[in-house]
Amino acid sequence: MRFVRRYLIPRLIQYVLVTWLGITVVFIIPRLLPSDPIESMVATLQAQGTFRDPEAVRQMVDTLRDMYGLEKSLPEQYISFWKRLLSADFGPSYFSFPTPVIKLIGRSFPWTVGLLLTTTVLSWIIGNITGGLSGYFTGNRLLKIVDWIVMFLRPIPYYVLGLTLVILFAYLLPLFPFEGGYTIGAKIAFTWSFIKDVLRHAFLPALSLSLLGVAVNHQTMRLIIQGVKEEDYIRYAKIAAVKERAIFGRYAMKNAILPQITGLTLSLGQIFGGALITEIVFSYPGLGFLLYRAIVNSDYNLIMGITTISIIAITTLILLVDLLYPLFDPRIRFR
Amino acid sequence: MKRLIALLVSLVVLAACVPAPQVVEKVVEKPVVQTVVVEKVVTPTPVSVPKEEKVVMGFPRSETLFAQQLTGRVGTPDNFNEWVGWKNRDRGMAQLMNEPLWTIEPAVGEVINSLAAAPPQYNEDFTQMTVKLREGVYWSDGVEFTADDVVFTIEKVKATQGLNYNVQLQGVKSVSAPDKYTVVVELTEPNSRFHAYFLDRWGCLFIMPKHVFEKVEDILTFEYNPPLSLGPYVLHSYDPAGFWTAWQLRDDWERTPTGMLYGQPKPKYVVFVTHQDPASAVIAQVRHELDTAQLTLESLRAVLAQNPYARAYRREFPWVVNTDPCVTGLTFNTLKPPFDNREVRWALALAIDIVSYAANAMDGALMMSALLTPSVPLYLKEYYQPMEPWLRDFTLDLGNGETFKPYDPEAPFRLAEYARSRGYVVPEDPDQIRATFGYGWWKYAPDVAAKLLEKNGFTRDKDGKWLLPDGTPWKFTVLTDPNPGHHHYQNTFAAVQEWRKFGIDVEANVNEMWSTLNLNGQFDISTAWPAYEPWGGHVDLYRTFDNWNSAYVEKELGKPHYGHLSRWSDPRMDQVIAELRGTDWNNTERIIELGMEGLKIAVEEMPGIATYTYVGALTWDEYYWTNWPGAENIYTQPYHHWPNFKYMLPFLEPTGR
Repeated sequence: MRFVRRYLIPRLIQYVLVTWLGITVVFIIPRLLPSDPIESMVATLQAQGTFRDPEAVRQMVDTLRDMYGLEKSLPEQYISFWKRLLSADFGPSYFSFPTPVIKLIGRSFPWTVGLLLTTTVLSWIIGNITGGLSGYFTGNRLLKIVDWIVMFLRPIPYYVLGLTLVILFAYLLPLFPFEGGYTIGAKIAFTWSFIKDVLRHAFLPALSLSLLGVAVNHQTMRLIIQGVKEEDYIRYAKIAAVKERAIFGRYAMKNAILPQITGLTLSLGQIFGGALITEIVFSYPGLGFLLYRAIVNSDYNLIMGITTISIIAITTLILLVDLLYPLFDPRIRFR
Repeated sequence: MKRLIALLVSLVVLAACVPAPQVVEKVVEKPVVQTVVVEKVVTPTPVSVPKEEKVVMGFPRSETLFAQQLTGRVGTPDNFNEWVGWKNRDRGMAQLMNEPLWTIEPAVGEVINSLAAAPPQYNEDFTQMTVKLREGVYWSDGVEFTADDVVFTIEKVKATQGLNYNVQLQGVKSVSAPDKYTVVVELTEPNSRFHAYFLDRWGCLFIMPKHVFEKVEDILTFEYNPPLSLGPYVLHSYDPAGFWTAWQLRDDWERTPTGMLYGQPKPKYVVFVTHQDPASAVIAQVRHELDTAQLTLESLRAVLAQNPYARAYRREFPWVVNTDPCVTGLTFNTLKPPFDNREVRWALALAIDIVSYAANAMDGALMMSALLTPSVPLYLKEYYQPMEPWLRDFTLDLGNGETFKPYDPEAPFRLAEYARSRGYVVPEDPDQIRATFGYGWWKYAPDVAAKLLEKNGFTRDKDGKWLLPDGTPWKFTVLTDPNPGHHHYQNTFAAVQEWRKFGIDVEANVNEMWSTLNLNGQFDISTAWPAYEPWGGHVDLYRTFDNWNSAYVEKELGKPHYGHLSRWSDPRMDQVIAELRGTDWNNTERIIELGMEGLKIAVEEMPGIATYTYVGALTWDEYYWTNWPGAENIYTQPYHHWPNFKYMLPFLEPTGR
């Protein structure tokens, strides 16, 4: 009970406060921008050929402002936002009016989660294993080659890497499709052939993300484990003639992995922002482009929808890690 | 390590050098039936593929045309209700599904009667418009299109706040259908251009099927899925993620205006695909998976180099389409000193060397335009050519009795010379050079520009940098949007370079918020269109001029302004506008006179510098389809994203591959 009263409840209050603050800041910031959703819509309609005389445009702006609820004061808009949010409704997208924001997000969400969740977790596992091995067994030739590859990959700008993969594996050796989430004209269905098609299309985007993800995790883990290797308990284990493999697995990796777990949590939270460049290079569906377009067009509701989900995901994951950390690190106990 | 790097570098270099790989095609051995569906859309349509038919991306390739979707991934793929907001109608809705009352044809220079059987007829005081409709046109569900549909659309749009064109239709007093094929619109006030709302120039007010929309309770949230079509194609399927939309030829295509006017469109399927990255579009064209695309000049060159079947609008330099009815250039904020001074504006025009400008903007692949209207074929004939004597005589007063004639008819020949120096093949015939590079521009006269500035109190410091009349350094920015492929952007950097050369401390302001900054007058010079886009296929310039109407000008910078962004006005232009309002759309002779009058005022006042007509780097792959409307065979406007695309499809020829 003492744990609940002294730790869990304050931590939950902190969680709620941080989430509220984050969402409030995101509510205010787009409204401070010089752009305006109505003006963006009008500019788009004008640019796309809608004939109007200037007086008609002025009247249209007034009508749309009223219809989108932007005539209301900021506090009124804030209150109605929270009312809607509590019933899981972000309202309509201004730019894609009247499509509900939740529908737009729902359409892109599975693609982003499917791609980024897989690549984030995979690259975390692979990068930490190779980085750990490479940092611990520094004399191994094979691992040195891995280090070189990582050193080569790490500084490559993501766009260049993505495009290189497209040229290599979709153009020169046409093994994979160069764009899209699935074949044009295919029927979306939960069938093995469709799943295979989706996996083929996801391969190059996933490879591009994983290669850089592995490189980052590899280098970080390598540095961490090199520090851990010098710790007294490792030396003591060596003196005590504990087998090298056991030292690596039970002592070195177990201690070195702790900061990486926090890193993984944050990375998982960030997947809700999407991967904009991946989506552009591979014409892959996802949340990144949706968010980009929302920002450019000042689509307040859509910005709020995506960022609110992202904020809730990150704060919740951090809360879970805080609560679960004692399972990974026996030194952490509530006293 | 070195070997590894060498290997990877070689691979990337190889990618740039190797010839086009073989097309990835699946040869179907047996007749197959593929089900292509989309949730909620039309019932799954089986695509029967005959024996040995090549299938690319799920469609029988020899019967399918793949086109790039210009405006990118569709934000609302399930929604085809284009009477509400923006629905990426270039996904095929505009080009294949919609038929407007009238369609503008800027490349040939005419107005096509689409659903209408004739041009609009107004009464004497322009308070009544009568439209005769084409008979025998049917919606894709078999219901006949009649005057009731037009009446319903006008009444519904007028009555429903939030629908596009709701504000514009408030001027309708009543609308009626005296018979099945006649519509009479009574207006509350005279409006000689009311029909323009129904004239398709990359969009207009389309007609709703009454029998569908009259049953809809909330039209604003209605998704109109599956949509009905008056055009020759119906929706086949689409990607719920918004990357592609497929259309199928109607069995009763002959009951559409396209079929009646031009015959059967040749492709059975047309698929619009979004390629987010220009490199993807290039790869798709090289693999023969994309038949038509509008690219950047660099991408166009890459496609031409890699795909022997690819061609551009012109087979030789400058390749690009020059029939787009928009003029690009520079817009002055005429409420902001010193740009409120016409002589300063003229000085900045004369400080530009159009050849060097064209080289920086488009490597010379453009058509210069001196007038604030594009050099499309109709305007070359009706405005540029007849106005040449006036342009040659046009004189600027430099003060102290000195004058200067700024028009330079030799500019296109200088540009042709530049192109030759770059190794491009350029015609020798002067007429062809003028048809390719434009009729002329302003002289490059930095000395004259300096005199105009000095006349207005400007001075130079010891380094030759220009100072304002108050002695402070003259600094300003040129605002542009951040799309490097757009002419706004290309104009910006070309102008900055020219004016820096002239000694002005000018910088580019590349800004995501540029449309808002433009609207609120928060710029010095912007590369937004220097004149509002005219029709291109009709001589009427009212649409352009009315945006300079003094009645609309918001004098306070920082507040939105909905006329032309320059916020320029002139009592003489107001008079031209008033006279155009009183001139019938069909009275082209008088319209041209007034058009010339307005263009002369715009030249004298220079509220913006027109530099070149919008050019499009359009590529066609002739591997599967030929007889595209290239410069040598221009039977319709050449873009796949214009509504006239449906009128191009009957003329295409399959290669049989």
